[in-house]
Amino acid sequence: MSENGFNRRDFLKTLGWGGTAVALSGCGNTSIEDGAEFVTSYSEPADYVIPSIGVYYNSTCAQCDAGCNITGRVREGRVIKLEGNAASAINHGKTCGLGQAGVQAHYNPDRVTQPKLNGQTVTWEQALAAISEKLAGASGAEVAFLTGGVSGHVRALLDNYLAALGSREHFVYEAVSPAVERAVNTKMYGTAMPRYRIDKARAVVSFGADFLGAWVSPVNFSQQYAKFRKGNRPEGRGVLVQIEPKMTLTGANADRWIAIRPGTEGILALGLINALGAAGVAVPGDAAAAAKDYTTERVSAETGVSADQIGRLATLLKERTPSLVLAGSAAEGYANGSQNAEAIALLNRALGNVGATIETSASTPFPQLAPRVGNRAALTALNDGLAAGKYKVVFTCGTNPVYSAPASLKFADNYAKAGFKVALAQYLDETAQAADLVLPLDSAMEAWATSVPEYMGGEGNYTQLSVTQPLMERLYADTRSTGDILLALLKQRSPDEYSGFEDFYAYLRSALLANKTALGGAGEADDDVFWNVTLSQAIIPLQGVVSKSAPQSAAPALSAPAAADASYPLRLIPSVSASIRDGRHANEPWLQESPDPLTTIVWDSWVEIHPKKAAELGIVEGDIVDVTSKSGTIQTQAYIFPGIHPDAVSMPLGYGHTAMGRYAKGTGANVYSILDAVYDKDTGELALNETSVKISKTDKRVIIVKEEGPAGGSQVNRAKIAVKVSADKVDLSKEV
Amino acid sequence: MSVSNLLENWSKYRHTHPLDDGGHADWNAYPSPIKWAMSIDLDACTGCNACSVACYAENNLPVVGKDKYAHGQAMHWMRIERYWGEPEKAIDEFDSAMNFQLVAQNFDVDQGAQFLPMLCQQCEAAPCETVCPVGATNHTEDGLNSQIYNRCIGSRYCSANCPYKVRYFNWYSYPDQEHAWPEPLNQQLNPDLTVRTKGVMEKCTFCKQRTYTARNDAKTEGREIRDEDVQTACQQACPTGAISFGNLFNPESTVAKQWSAQQVDLVKEKQDKDGTPDNKLRGYRILEELRPFPSIMYLERVRESAV
Repeated sequence: MSENGFNRRDFLKTLGWGGTAVALSGCGNTSIEDGAEFVTSYSEPADYVIPSIGVYYNSTCAQCDAGCNITGRVREGRVIKLEGNAASAINHGKTCGLGQAGVQAHYNPDRVTQPKLNGQTVTWEQALAAISEKLAGASGAEVAFLTGGVSGHVRALLDNYLAALGSREHFVYEAVSPAVERAVNTKMYGTAMPRYRIDKARAVVSFGADFLGAWVSPVNFSQQYAKFRKGNRPEGRGVLVQIEPKMTLTGANADRWIAIRPGTEGILALGLINALGAAGVAVPGDAAAAAKDYTTERVSAETGVSADQIGRLATLLKERTPSLVLAGSAAEGYANGSQNAEAIALLNRALGNVGATIETSASTPFPQLAPRVGNRAALTALNDGLAAGKYKVVFTCGTNPVYSAPASLKFADNYAKAGFKVALAQYLDETAQAADLVLPLDSAMEAWATSVPEYMGGEGNYTQLSVTQPLMERLYADTRSTGDILLALLKQRSPDEYSGFEDFYAYLRSALLANKTALGGAGEADDDVFWNVTLSQAIIPLQGVVSKSAPQSAAPALSAPAAADASYPLRLIPSVSASIRDGRHANEPWLQESPDPLTTIVWDSWVEIHPKKAAELGIVEGDIVDVTSKSGTIQTQAYIFPGIHPDAVSMPLGYGHTAMGRYAKGTGANVYSILDAVYDKDTGELALNETSVKISKTDKRVIIVKEEGPAGGSQVNRAKIAVKVSADKVDLSKEV
Repeated sequence: MSVSNLLENWSKYRHTHPLDDGGHADWNAYPSPIKWAMSIDLDACTGCNACSVACYAENNLPVVGKDKYAHGQAMHWMRIERYWGEPEKAIDEFDSAMNFQLVAQNFDVDQGAQFLPMLCQQCEAAPCETVCPVGATNHTEDGLNSQIYNRCIGSRYCSANCPYKVRYFNWYSYPDQEHAWPEPLNQQLNPDLTVRTKGVMEKCTFCKQRTYTARNDAKTEGREIRDEDVQTACQQACPTGAISFGNLFNPESTVAKQWSAQQVDLVKEKQDKDGTPDNKLRGYRILEELRPFPSIMYLERVRESAV
């Protein structure tokens, strides 16, 4: 708020105390009394502030990598609510619970507000000087950057900075990433991230792809799913079958949920190809050859899915074309994960779905802005370098490897070996705590950025550049956006090139205006008009480049899943919750208090055990159990859960932080810490589901805090509450 | 309002039975009558909780933390209930033994789970209204069951009498509690409505702050409320569009069309279609037989059983 000549006493006379309270809290400051700051009267407001009227600004959601387009409601200079942007081809005006909680990431009470060098608060000048000093003694190869997925102009600046340093050591790490999916899609469909057309399919068979929960672009898929389920659709109402050892949110919404033996998904896929061939479907030669040994009897024995069920699945896929078969993390998280996914992709090819419900997507016409996506293999590579003492300066940004690396990597120890560690962080999380220098980041509601979503909705070659713009002024004067920090660092290295840009906003504006024609602004003679249109929409639609590589005619050689170790008889399936995700949102209280959809548990982690297995082990709900793998032990509460394979147990990722903030710290147990270091053979990706555990009861028991009542989800002898009806008992064709 | 006024106009502040002709006496205050109603398609609902979080954001709902949640003090105006398929065999045996562990072993998970978004049903003959000793909960002219916070004395009779258990009591002054709104989280609070004080009851209002604005705008422009004028926060967030909301008395509204297509009549406790089991319709209201005449119609979840 700007200075003005308004006398404080007159101001109070005009407004009364109520108005003042709003104005003061609007600034987030309390130093009005001593004259250090000024407030602007409502009688003389800025153009965009109309007291009591909400103003809406478009921007981009940063809560997950789906990059939904959002609209923020701003009242008296404060953003108070986020909605979906109705013009978006990704989310069409909708949001998920995670997106709603974006304001809690912004107003979080545990944000880092000032640069900290070795725990001492310093100024930005001192912080940047410290970096400059450390970089002076390091060669390019001795400087590493670890980031989450990056795209847009932040990525372009980061690339420029790495080039200026002469460093090629950029590691892009996502704790939960579709890396296997990308690799297999490229091989089998010729495109890493095709458009999945659930809305066009008459049947969807999903091998553990939780597309309604946490997989790739859930809000987009949820809307496709709603269309897929409509009875008055030309294709008729679609049928969903979910095959996975642990029921996900998508599994909970399936017409048939099938608990498969963990790791045998590829076998079932090949068995289905075989069965389809036998049923008279024209299966391409390579697929038929790959599947010829997978008879229904053999597949049934190896997967635990009944022969009858396999027959019904084959009938479903034969009768309902086009169909869509999806492979998600539940099928991919094994040492033979890529092979599983390839077998599943082969099933899609055999069914003729490629081109029908799996469409080639377009990539952005600006390759320098394209998303640079991450995986776990990058972390392993960085970890090896750190262990060898290779790096003098390490930057981390938007990622928390000290928390999310499996304990077997000993990442925290290796990270400590780096000469000088700089963390760009919004919270003082585990990684920031271990860093020498912490640079406080703006929230997504304060920063300027652009981004290109990896998964793009829409039709044909549509793609877009999404704009992130501040929805309000900074809450804290000393936070900076990633772009601002990179620009400041670039000014140290290449002052001639970058000193003309006062801040990242100036850089972004000039970069976009320089490409005005290519960005669809050819008709706009005036830069300001183009710029204002861009900001008001926050979406720049673009004609993408369709490039498709030739799919390989690979017939996957399936290796058998690893046999269970007698001392660790249960398979641990870490689950990715739609709200907490990989743990980065654990400090947003709405998400902690939002019950897990399936167990309805809040504020803690849990281990899901099948009722039969629990009876065998003598475990009842609420027993505190030790979950022990080869790599470690964690303790949590047992939840008896019917939606899981009896030989598997499941725990949610993202809990058990030892730092980060008041809501995250100490809530639940950290599953990453007991994951074994087993990798997918083809991609080197961490095989999330390859950890085997044993469960042992302790002498403690708690009452689980959950939404579910004492009847445990039973409606026995109760009135009509949540009613389910068989599809042949209703006529959906005339519904509104 | 004075107590004498309250007593004199007692019948006005009590609900009137929708079957009696006195219902909604004040509707003529608007260009045309309004009756807010909702329909929720359980087939489209995936149980994702987006509606619930959106409600926290819109309506200043406090986060209570683990301990208070354990005491049943969560303030979620909109909650998602999760049910499992019932075991096909020997239900009586389980029930008599009340052995839920045994029931859990036999839940039918072949068709996943069932989800039910539960919120205030804005009953036309609301059981909560008749028991309030001070008239703090009563019926509005646009057909909502309203809660007047500063009249509420916290007897909690309304909550006890609510068959849906959707009324939430402020056991604490939440701004003073550690979890709710520590600085600067309080800056997110929606200034269009209050933060309720300790000792009062609260519940879903069908986003009254939004309907009020829409209603006033329509009145200013001298026209009917249209569907696009107002969305509740839960409806706006819902990724599958499972929630419809609007004026049931406007035959052009989606809600009115849905209710009529499903042959669900607001003022009947037993629908005509109930007499014909093969009606192929899936609209129903929860606990209709208790005669609260709820304003939310649910559409049954549809599942293919042959796969």
